[in-house]
Amino acid sequence: MQLYHIALNNLRRRKARMLFVLLGLSIGMATVVAVYGLLEAMKAEMTRRASEFGANIVITASAGEMAFSYGGITLPEVMFDVEPLTMADVAAIDNIPSRPGVRVVAPKLLGVSTGGGREVIVAGVRPQEEFRVKPWLRLQEAPPRPERKQMAEEKGEAMELDIYYLDLARQDPTKTVLGPRQVLLGSAVAETLGVNSGDRLTLGGQEFTVFGLLKENGSLEDELVIMNLAAAQDLLARPQEVTVIELTTANPAAAEQALLAELSQALPGAQITSVRQETLRRDELLTRMARFGMAVSALILLAGTLVAALAISGSVRERTREIGILRALGFRQSHVAKIIMLEALLVSLGGGILGYAAGVSAARAAGPLLDSGTLAVPWQLDLLAATLLLSLAVGLSAGIFPARQAARLDPAEALRFI
Amino acid sequence: MADVMIALRELKKTYGSADGEVHALRGVTLDINKGEAVAVMGHSGSGKSTLLSIIGALNPPSSGSIEIDGIDIYALSQERRADFRREYLGFVFQQFQLIPYLTALENVLLPLVTTSLPGRRKRELAEQVLCRVGLAGKMNRLPNALSGGEQERVAIARAIVNAPPVLLADEPTGNLDTKTGEEIMALFRELNQDGLTVLMVTHNPDNTRHMGRTIVLKDGLLCQDKAEILSLAAGRGQRRGG
Repeated sequence: MQLYHIALNNLRRRKARMLFVLLGLSIGMATVVAVYGLLEAMKAEMTRRASEFGANIVITASAGEMAFSYGGITLPEVMFDVEPLTMADVAAIDNIPSRPGVRVVAPKLLGVSTGGGREVIVAGVRPQEEFRVKPWLRLQEAPPRPERKQMAEEKGEAMELDIYYLDLARQDPTKTVLGPRQVLLGSAVAETLGVNSGDRLTLGGQEFTVFGLLKENGSLEDELVIMNLAAAQDLLARPQEVTVIELTTANPAAAEQALLAELSQALPGAQITSVRQETLRRDELLTRMARFGMAVSALILLAGTLVAALAISGSVRERTREIGILRALGFRQSHVAKIIMLEALLVSLGGGILGYAAGVSAARAAGPLLDSGTLAVPWQLDLLAATLLLSLAVGLSAGIFPARQAARLDPAEALRFI
Repeated sequence: MADVMIALRELKKTYGSADGEVHALRGVTLDINKGEAVAVMGHSGSGKSTLLSIIGALNPPSSGSIEIDGIDIYALSQERRADFRREYLGFVFQQFQLIPYLTALENVLLPLVTTSLPGRRKRELAEQVLCRVGLAGKMNRLPNALSGGEQERVAIARAIVNAPPVLLADEPTGNLDTKTGEEIMALFRELNQDGLTVLMVTHNPDNTRHMGRTIVLKDGLLCQDKAEILSLAAGRGQRRGG
């Protein structure tokens, strides 16, 4: 028999008290784990989205902005003196010293045209560049034509009716070449206009052929009629004009400042935004939230520690006579303290495991509610290890005072020898 | 001249309380030889248990000296005194004082827990002493599954498992019926015959028959008066007769 047998047997005997301490520690640990898990998952999701967002730098036209306020109600900002970007600005980017570090320059013109009796948003792009900065875009292959379906039925074969999607930027670069009179349609606008691949579409009096449809992706592209930049400039009667230039860089973060400075110098009238810096700003906000969350968790954990300390201390008082017997049988003060600390250790270990399981489960349940179903909180071994370490630290802190109290018990007093 | 195991010189113990001081021991001088069996008698409050706790290295005296096997036990540090208790003393407490959530075997193992003996050896020793006190078949029972006499036997086994030279017992038969009490006293006598020095606090004059010497405490002092001893015995006899 060892000291831990005594600790373990005592815990078994005092199940209610042990469960009380276990619950206190578990709740504290679960709160910390849930808050930490959620915040880490939110950070990871933000980083993932930022990395998925192909453009690193976005250049737009500069304009004056003014917000009008009426009796404390502020209306959206009004823009004035907009100085549009031009193809000369796109060319200017090619001349900056850091140009080799820029992988893709994707200029784009946005405007409104009419088609099928409705207003549609036209995006003039350089297709190959555009699809490189937006690698998530997929082309929806045309459904099987009726005659093929009929042939298949005549042969008694099962016809593959599934629509599959082509990765425009990677798998089939030839698909990203649009003719001057060809357009790609976002899924929503295609449905609105009631057109399909191969159909003809009249926009602003000009006739185009629908080259293909884009797979629905839930973003702006679903609403766009995409065509070559030059065709859009012609259609919208805005020659040489560009609304936005998106850049994808291969530069490390350290070189980004230099690139931004060169761009500012080359395009003095433009507004240049770094997506990374924007992300960092949001990250900072998230860090503040994290600090607040962790502070609240720390308070709950402190309360859990105090509950545990009080419960263990109560247990020591209950066992005064028993501790006196152990001391009379030759247990040193340090042996008695070790027994109490071992009990605290065992309970805190259990509290850590339970707290981790409960915390991650809670975070997994809460994640989808916070982030429209996409936030995933994983089971992580390193978080489990950290939780156990924290839990042990909390348990040991809670055990120190009762252990000292137990060790300092006067054995004669404990045995009431008088 | 026989070797002295326990030597007390002018031992005094005073407890302070709100009502004033209580003089539990007022100068006890006593030698107990190795292998001797001594019964300590006296009325309640006479200082018996205080004397036992001081000899048990649990309760420092207010003044005077005490040596066990030549060791001034209160000159030792707290932790060394704990080691001393483990190596030199076996305790049999009033009302057995077994740990309720440990089996008989585990209770007996307690004094060995903090020793450096191998686990198997500890278990062998505990099983041997339990066999010796007649509990071979009940080693794995919890105290509440044992009779009073059996619990007392476990307490005795626990007191002797580390082979101490001195056995201290406080009212070991106080909670037992006469027959079981006699059996336990026979066990004490047997242990004494094996060379163990036994010091037993008791209210029961019948127990003194099993002990080689009886000393009586009165108001914190040793009473040498034979008549006093006889009066204690007679008082006990009257109560039993009544």
